[in-house]
Amino acid sequence: MEQLAWLGRTGIAITQSLGQSALLLLMALTAPPDRLSRELRRLVTQIYFIGVNSVLIVMLSGLFIGMVLALQGHTVLSRFGAVEALGQLVSLTLLRELGPVVAGLLFAGRAGSAITAELGFMKATEQLSALEMMGVDPLAHVLRPRFLAGLISMPILAQIFNAVAILSAWLVSTELLGIDGGSFWANMNQVVDFREDVVNGIIKAIVFGFVITWVALHQGYTAAPNTEGINRSTTRSVVIASLSVLALDFVLTALMFGE
Amino acid sequence: MSSIARFENVALARGDRSIFQDLSLDIPDGKITAIMGPSGCGKTTLLRLLGRQLQPSAGRVSLFGQNLAELSTTQILAVRRRIGVLFQNGALFSDLNVFDNVAFPLREHTRLSERQIRDLVLIRLHMVGLRGARALMPNELSGGMARRVALARAIILDPDIILYDEPFAGQDPISMGVLCELIAQINKVLGICSVVVSHDIHETSIISDHIYIISEGKIVSSGSPRELANSTNPLVRQFVAGEADGPIPFHFPGQDLWQDLDIDRGVLWSS
Repeated sequence: MEQLAWLGRTGIAITQSLGQSALLLLMALTAPPDRLSRELRRLVTQIYFIGVNSVLIVMLSGLFIGMVLALQGHTVLSRFGAVEALGQLVSLTLLRELGPVVAGLLFAGRAGSAITAELGFMKATEQLSALEMMGVDPLAHVLRPRFLAGLISMPILAQIFNAVAILSAWLVSTELLGIDGGSFWANMNQVVDFREDVVNGIIKAIVFGFVITWVALHQGYTAAPNTEGINRSTTRSVVIASLSVLALDFVLTALMFGE
Repeated sequence: MSSIARFENVALARGDRSIFQDLSLDIPDGKITAIMGPSGCGKTTLLRLLGRQLQPSAGRVSLFGQNLAELSTTQILAVRRRIGVLFQNGALFSDLNVFDNVAFPLREHTRLSERQIRDLVLIRLHMVGLRGARALMPNELSGGMARRVALARAIILDPDIILYDEPFAGQDPISMGVLCELIAQINKVLGICSVVVSHDIHETSIISDHIYIISEGKIVSSGSPRELANSTNPLVRQFVAGEADGPIPFHFPGQDLWQDLDIDRGVLWSS
């Protein structure tokens, strides 16, 4: 009986939180706009904090993941005498799956946590209250530019990740594994379809950017205004966003590439 | 003297906890009104009601002659522009420097040129003695300096009422003196109404014209600082003299000590 009650309570809590976060996002997006120049300035500032500051970690991860992919791919393919297909294996894996997913997980850890912690801190130090009392809507002023910046940054970061990973895989293939560079590129060119592989990967990255930023904003905005509350919300933001990315990836893959 | 804000039979509950029951008070124009009471009695909540960041569960809060509950979102935003608030820790925007913090309300709500904004900001910063600190970031300021910058920001739009939330909490004696002086001076020079929420009886008594004391959700006493100092009300006496025990008990309600320690069984630490 107690388990049933717990299940009911949890169900209600999750539904409530979903509704609350949807409403929060809707209100942030539909709040009356400011002068265009100011909206743009805020957006560019946030793209810098959220997107540009994540570029280095995304590039470094791309570098290593590309190199590992080339090594592992070579081991398997050489068993079947198909090492020329390495370029094809690496690019399809990255464009369709690893690019958006790994960049998404990194983005949740780097930018999502930062957004949640920043908003929680702003709430704890009454900065959001101060905005309200100055007659400035914090949803339009603080939440909206962060959300849009996340939505714009994430697909770009995923493409940067892909580019670096493919280049590092090519480097390992040609320099370390002795595969002919020409056949690496030619094979990739022949198999990769722009609409099917590249565009689908970008769509995935946009969806992940939407969810990660949304979760981060909601967790930060509803954080308990104290150290423990911020701590808990930041952890929850990364956990929920990462799991959502993985679950959504399955759904999107099934929709895009499933028969 | 006309009143600028009025609480009429206000009740407020949060969850199961009742914060105010039947609270009524008047805040006169042009004066410094203090609202005092022990920590956790709902003083800050009272200020949030005045800005309609919270709505009462019963009763009526009016400001500038308007019932706040009846105002639309646009109207309440317009009312808030006439209120200056000094938050407990300043609530300075941590990503902006001192100058930009003070300039923020001007940039949001006016179409003044940068030149005009610069002059207005420097005049306000000069008033609080921090014109030279304009380039510092909030994390480079001491607590007292942060509050002075926040005060400059609170008065930049020439508000009709200023709300001070615990302006003296955690300040050293010099900083307290400076803030006391500033609050009194701003009230006099700008001729506006000030509401000071505080539990620092000494400083508040120096500057305020009228004091309300709140405890357990009600006004327990009110009067001029002198009247309260001579009050015979035991709760006011306890608060003014800072006695540990009295009508506001030292012990959190709980079981009787003797029962708790099992002493009525007669033997302590018996096995």
